[in-house]
Amino acid sequence: MKIHRRDFLRLVASTVAVGVLSYINLDSRQGLFENIVREQEIPEEKWVGTACWIGKQDCGMFARVVDGRVVCLVGDPKNPRNRGKLCPKGVAQIMGLYSPYRVKAPLKRINEKGEPGEWVEISWDEALDVIAQKLKETMDKNPKLIIWQKGRSKQKNIYDHAFVKTLGITKIGHGAYCSDAGYRACEYTIGQHGVLHPDFRYCKYLIAWGWNITNAGGNKLCWITWPQEFVAARERGMKVILLDPRREPGGPHVDEWVPIRPGTDLAFWLAIANVLVEKGYVDVEFLKKYTNAPFLVKDDGYFLRIDDKEQVWDLKEGRAKPYDDSTADPALEGTYTVNGNTVKPAFQVFKEHIANYTPEWASEITGIPAETIRRIADELGRNAMIGSTINIDGVEVPYRPVAVHAYHVAQQELGFQAVRACLIVFMLLGAIMAAGGVHTDILTKPKIHGNFYKLEKAEVKAETDFKLSGKYFPINTVNPSMIAKAMINPEKYGVKELPEVLIIHMANPLLSFVDQPTLIEGFKKFKFVVVISPWLSETADYLADIVLPTTTLDKYEGPLHTKTPYEDAYTARISPVEPFFQARDEADIYAAICDKLGLLDKFVDNVMKELKIDKKYRDQLVEGYKAGKLSRNIIDAWAKSKGISEGIRYFEKNGTWYVGKIPANVRYAAAWDPPFLGIKLRLYGEGLKRIRDEMRKLGVDEIYWRDYTPLPTWRKPTMENSPPEYNLYLISYHKIEFKQSRSTFIPLLAELEPEQRVIINRRTAEELGIKDGDIVLVEAYNAVTGEKRSIKARAMTIEGIRPDTVAMPHHYGFWVDPVARDRGPTPNYLFFTGEGYVTMTADQSFQVKVRCVKVGG
Amino acid sequence: MVKYVYVVDLSRCMGCRACVEACKIENNTPAGIFWMWVFRWEEGTYPNVTVRFLPRPCMHCDNPPCVKVCPVGARYKREDGLVLTDYDRCIGCRYCQVACPYAVNYFNWKRPVEHYYYDWLREEGRGLYGRGHPNDYTGGVIPPYRNPDLEKRYGKEKRKVAGGGHYLGVMEKCTWCVHRIERGKLPACVEVCPAMALHFGDIEDPSSEVSKILAKKRWFRLLEELNTSPRVYYVGATPPSMEKVRNLIRWHLWTTRQSPRVKVIKR
Repeated sequence: MKIHRRDFLRLVASTVAVGVLSYINLDSRQGLFENIVREQEIPEEKWVGTACWIGKQDCGMFARVVDGRVVCLVGDPKNPRNRGKLCPKGVAQIMGLYSPYRVKAPLKRINEKGEPGEWVEISWDEALDVIAQKLKETMDKNPKLIIWQKGRSKQKNIYDHAFVKTLGITKIGHGAYCSDAGYRACEYTIGQHGVLHPDFRYCKYLIAWGWNITNAGGNKLCWITWPQEFVAARERGMKVILLDPRREPGGPHVDEWVPIRPGTDLAFWLAIANVLVEKGYVDVEFLKKYTNAPFLVKDDGYFLRIDDKEQVWDLKEGRAKPYDDSTADPALEGTYTVNGNTVKPAFQVFKEHIANYTPEWASEITGIPAETIRRIADELGRNAMIGSTINIDGVEVPYRPVAVHAYHVAQQELGFQAVRACLIVFMLLGAIMAAGGVHTDILTKPKIHGNFYKLEKAEVKAETDFKLSGKYFPINTVNPSMIAKAMINPEKYGVKELPEVLIIHMANPLLSFVDQPTLIEGFKKFKFVVVISPWLSETADYLADIVLPTTTLDKYEGPLHTKTPYEDAYTARISPVEPFFQARDEADIYAAICDKLGLLDKFVDNVMKELKIDKKYRDQLVEGYKAGKLSRNIIDAWAKSKGISEGIRYFEKNGTWYVGKIPANVRYAAAWDPPFLGIKLRLYGEGLKRIRDEMRKLGVDEIYWRDYTPLPTWRKPTMENSPPEYNLYLISYHKIEFKQSRSTFIPLLAELEPEQRVIINRRTAEELGIKDGDIVLVEAYNAVTGEKRSIKARAMTIEGIRPDTVAMPHHYGFWVDPVARDRGPTPNYLFFTGEGYVTMTADQSFQVKVRCVKVGG
Repeated sequence: MVKYVYVVDLSRCMGCRACVEACKIENNTPAGIFWMWVFRWEEGTYPNVTVRFLPRPCMHCDNPPCVKVCPVGARYKREDGLVLTDYDRCIGCRYCQVACPYAVNYFNWKRPVEHYYYDWLREEGRGLYGRGHPNDYTGGVIPPYRNPDLEKRYGKEKRKVAGGGHYLGVMEKCTWCVHRIERGKLPACVEVCPAMALHFGDIEDPSSEVSKILAKKRWFRLLEELNTSPRVYYVGATPPSMEKVRNLIRWHLWTTRQSPRVKVIKR
């Protein structure tokens, strides 16, 4: 048997007392180190296919392994998402594997919660026993009182589905801080899951709506795919408008910067719609065929129904007909009388609704000159080429080369309706899921998301649970900060049962979520908190009872569906080396928890069901679990079930499994059979009107129902009620160097952007007597409660930001890891959660009024 | 005869600094040392503002001031265009650092093994949050991602020129990844670039990508006025002014002078 050096050292380490060893090594290792490299002219070397662990798009990559060490990571050229490339985080994550500050063993808290943790190492067995016992206590009462909180879930089938279902617990995502206001708007309006991206291969005119082109991802993908498509489209001549309070996102790649006032995007889109309708840039055929624009609306705001069917006005026969009667030529405009009801097509109602939303009106609100709005609307209208078609891969589809790219911009108080208004603009242009137009999901087959139906029928109830569903947020993304508020003050919301146990998966709520004081106060009330993390997160530090160490780059996880709008592929995260310390893969951790609860069989069955794994591999999974290799064996069994005879070895050797191109008749919904699978896109949101009326009837406060309107309706954002001295808007933004906590712990990245800065317009700074590098106090005001909060950070004065806006990246404010801490505060401390600062769907707004004062040089 | 050039397409660069990180890992450069850097700045006044990016590897000049001032022949120019540093010869006088107008030379003020972000020798963090230390799994190699190719000798002259962080008291700078190009691979920065803005190849070969780009697009070289004849060509944008470049370099030197603070924070 050959003993590798690494094994030898581990052998030594296990036989000699640790203190002594490290002392001896201090001198000997330097000599050892010099020799190591010299003696090995031909080191043992291999390349292992794996996937990036940092971002959300799981870029395919290969790890170069020399003598059991990972020495570098390179992109996998076969992966359609990154085509052989990596971003700075992808490259630097190698240090995440080697961080000496990783959680190395299961830890148990020995001090009070709500203050920095003190820990003792315990065995895996002891940790799992404690967890199982706590889970059991609550499960006997009500399993829904156990929350599984994810930040990022990189294998939904195993974690979100199999594990959560096996225990029957409550699953909560991070979407309320991400872009879910946009998700809900798109699901409700067009039946697609996501926010908005262009069909880059054919788009000619793009509005980058709060899209941080050079520094952040975009719809559904975290970075590389979109910039690559973007650059290629630019070289084909695509024009780009940047609609953003900051100029930096556009880099050198935009034709025009339109600095919009934060929180006013709804007004912008309403005015665009106003101009399009006024100028006749309306795809009448699209509206008639694929939307509910022709549905007849009664005076009371509800659709006219005969025999339970929505009606349209047939222009040919001059009478109402069911909407699905193919003989009808439905009217879009006019007023008609049917069975004694005065009715109008929804489009007519819309036209009247937007009549006053003129560019001049919007200019006051958005700070964009009226002529600019008018010109952009005109450019959109002309470039949409309404009526044109194009032949792609032998399929004739509508050609509308105008689009928008939008994701996190949805997180503003009126975000749900702003995204709806934007969708309506692109409905008018007929550009929804057209060639060159706006797209939402990345589909490998035609699909309407279940929420298209579910949200329309969302229940309004007198009772509410700790998620505040039913009564306050009938359409509810579920905002963990709102749960914290309910935990602090259950009486206020009439919440009877509060959650008791929290399992945190790949998240650091105290930093990444909003409203730190509320989160700490609320989450302290959990009876038991488990954090599963490779690093000791701030959340673990303050709140965890038990911390379980998990793997980073040394992880098995998969399969990972790395599809793009144009190509389909799978990859898997494969540990290039044995896991470090006592870290375990998440699937193995969850299986072990289920095992302690006597639910292992159910968990394995659920995993197999979710991943469609052939029954004959069941024993392999169970044996894998016993050997601590469940995660690995799941990938293997899944691959074999898919007909990849080599199993996981295929991915180890080849990296990505390339499936093929996504055909045009999947990408373009007009080519589906039937088009849009027969649904009618919701220009008019009747269900929103119904929810509003039912909430009013229940006596729910107006602040909860005021934005449930069938057509997007402008109102002044709540933050505008702040006193006049709070004269600046604070927004936060993303830097390319970081992606949530897991990248902030990497010193190679921290080195690139070492300190927080308050970005402020140069002229504004001058007026306030602030110079570049000064320390400023940023104080936020809550216009509903009157609460004030402040932080101090250094100013950076620039030209590329609106004079009424200040901005801070959200990657700072850490206090545990030596690499991440002492680099300045996080703006997440300044944003408020709660009424007036969340959308009608409980999504967090990232805008607040602040004042800035110089406090130091 | 192969003549290497490096072409940067500024109409593609996203300013993401993946090249910076790929270089740091591939060449094992210590903290605060950036053989590749990407400048970012804005031009204009509100609301007529634009943002620009400019990657800066070593220019591998044909008229290299650093070679001229080296008193010991450690800094030399190869026939294929590369300007390299012979680590066995460098005496650390830093004349090259003074001579270079692009500020691509970095001096090893500290023992490199003590300067890789964490204190690997004293095993910072051992035993914290559970038993063990990464050294137990890497054999104590520093940095743990140490690239074995860097120790070898390259070129027909077989000099020790690859990689970074070799010795206290020597200069180091970008080698265009000599250890990679001699194996027919691209420099790490070029290979990683997500926007495909970076190109590298043989200018003598008319079919090479770099030849084709330079034949088609207007190009400029950085600080052309100084007659250094750089081998790095920029396309897709107009040249920044000399004053701008000087300011950017000054700013970079200031920030990297600060960055050693990044490492070794004792608990």
